[in-house]
Amino acid sequence: MSVRTRNNVQVSGSGLATMFFAHGFGCDQNMWRLLAPAYSTRYRTVSFDLVGSGGSDLSAWSPTKYATLQGYASDVVEIVREFGEGPAIFVGHSVSAMIGLLADLEAPGLFGAQIMIGPSPCYINDGDYVGGFTRKDIDSLLEALDSNYLGWASNMAPAIMGAPGQPALGDELTNSFCRTDPEIAKHFARVTFLSDVRSELPRLATPTLILQCDDDMIAPITVGEYLHRALAQSTLTIVNNVGHCPHLSAPSASGAAIDRFLMEQGL
Amino acid sequence: MAALPTDSNTPLDEVACGLMRTAEDGTILRINRIFSEWVGQPPGALLQRRRFQDLLTMGGRIFHQTHWAPLLRMQGSISEVKLELARDEAPPIPIVINAIRHEKEGVAYHEIAAFVARDRDKYERELVLSRKRLEELVTEATRLQEEAKDRALFAEQMIGIVSHDLRNPLSGIAMGAALLTRGQLSEGQQRTLNRILRSADRAHALIADLLDLTQARLGGGLSVSLQSVDLHHTISEALDELSLVHQGRPLHHKTVGSGECTADRNRLVQLLGNLVSNAVAYGTPGRPVTVTSGMGSQCFIAVHNEGVAIPPEKQELIFKPMTRGAQNSAGRSVGLGLFIVREIAKAHGGEARVDSTADGGTTFTVAFPRR
Repeated sequence: MSVRTRNNVQVSGSGLATMFFAHGFGCDQNMWRLLAPAYSTRYRTVSFDLVGSGGSDLSAWSPTKYATLQGYASDVVEIVREFGEGPAIFVGHSVSAMIGLLADLEAPGLFGAQIMIGPSPCYINDGDYVGGFTRKDIDSLLEALDSNYLGWASNMAPAIMGAPGQPALGDELTNSFCRTDPEIAKHFARVTFLSDVRSELPRLATPTLILQCDDDMIAPITVGEYLHRALAQSTLTIVNNVGHCPHLSAPSASGAAIDRFLMEQGL
Repeated sequence: MAALPTDSNTPLDEVACGLMRTAEDGTILRINRIFSEWVGQPPGALLQRRRFQDLLTMGGRIFHQTHWAPLLRMQGSISEVKLELARDEAPPIPIVINAIRHEKEGVAYHEIAAFVARDRDKYERELVLSRKRLEELVTEATRLQEEAKDRALFAEQMIGIVSHDLRNPLSGIAMGAALLTRGQLSEGQQRTLNRILRSADRAHALIADLLDLTQARLGGGLSVSLQSVDLHHTISEALDELSLVHQGRPLHHKTVGSGECTADRNRLVQLLGNLVSNAVAYGTPGRPVTVTSGMGSQCFIAVHNEGVAIPPEKQELIFKPMTRGAQNSAGRSVGLGLFIVREIAKAHGGEARVDSTADGGTTFTVAFPRR
């Protein structure tokens, strides 16, 4: 199976460097529709779906390969090797920020810059470390997933939620955005929210932008600060935004922070 | 009768669902009475002070952040999302919500409608529970099945290994006994030695059957070496030998058409031996056993005996290993005879079947292509 099919890789734009856009837990590459297009005039842009999400090839999913974030990171290395031209700039949202970090460690020198949007190296509180969640909170999330996926037929579910009163919206988007297999979604939720890559952080040497929201319950500001301390080559930028998806709810502020960082890196 | 209000501006507090308007970040801008009652706080404590997502259980909040907030932004609306309202010191209230995103003069806001879904929630919990139970049962059943399969495989391998290893000591016994027959023996000693030799032969035959069983079951079928064979000649020779074993029972041979075929001669003799000793053991004592060899559309060997019919429900069963008829007293077999007959037929690309009636007697027929 080709990497293109497996990860539903979409390429557009052109430029001297390639920007890769990786979505987080819960959605797919459609997340980038408000942010990525602005970059296709200056960069080659590549967006894709993690295996098990969106338009990826579900037959490529396996509970063992994707039992840890490393499985996803290996896919990212393959994607960057196959579709990258010039320096690779990796934009990862949420859990994909850590997937990008692991990919970087797996293939040193492959990446020119890491841009982490709402990253967290560990979601669960641990001693002095405040990730924002307890184990019980994560169990409660799994329960919420269970009851919202319950009504679906076994395999490919339709859009996770309907869209009443939006006839203007294309069927294509309605049907693919957040489309997911319930079992895979639960598995991915567990892998995401139980992940802990804190011990890997000091090994990252690539220049990194941490894009932190000032009000994000998934990745609280203390987590952004922790990351900034742990990543030697990092820049911490805080944007005013409520929620976990600044690229959707504050695309221009997010874009401005990314532009500034890329300029400083000469990319 | 008093006039019912027909104007379109029914006060929000009178509608039959929870309604809320929030800013894009979730800050509550408007809430109706029912909704604030569910939350358990007066509107004054909620308006401008709380955000919709803050009212949810932790799981619901994460779900809101990772799923439905981005979806609402991209899609403009969502429906039938199930969440739970968290309440201080009281069990959470399950609700189902629809939400629409509007934009007015560049400012976005959300309209949310909610219904309490206690029964749906209960029903779902039962479904989830029974699914879990079912999954556990299936896992357990699969495990037991695997174990049984392993045990059966082990037993069959064991039979193969033991039978194979028994052959050497048995050959030693038979060879020793054969050597002894050359010496000066009393009549009694001679009889004993003959008994030892006959028993060793029987044991050899049993072992051969057991090895065939393991080969058929574990090796994917019996091996045969096919060559040109005169069927009639082969059968008639074998019957001569068999009549020595079954003295006092007439064994008749009939032939039909030409006898030229392609087969494994030794296997045919083995097959005939099994069928004839069955016919002798289960047929009416003293009455003849008739063997017909021949060529129709296929090569065939049919062995007929008179006697009590095999009940129809048992006719398929008797080809399975370890099944035995009630009258078997010969003691030669562990119930593998007919199983091996069918396996030999299969190895020739053919099949074995039985026809048995009270009037017509019992006929076992093996048929295979001539090639």
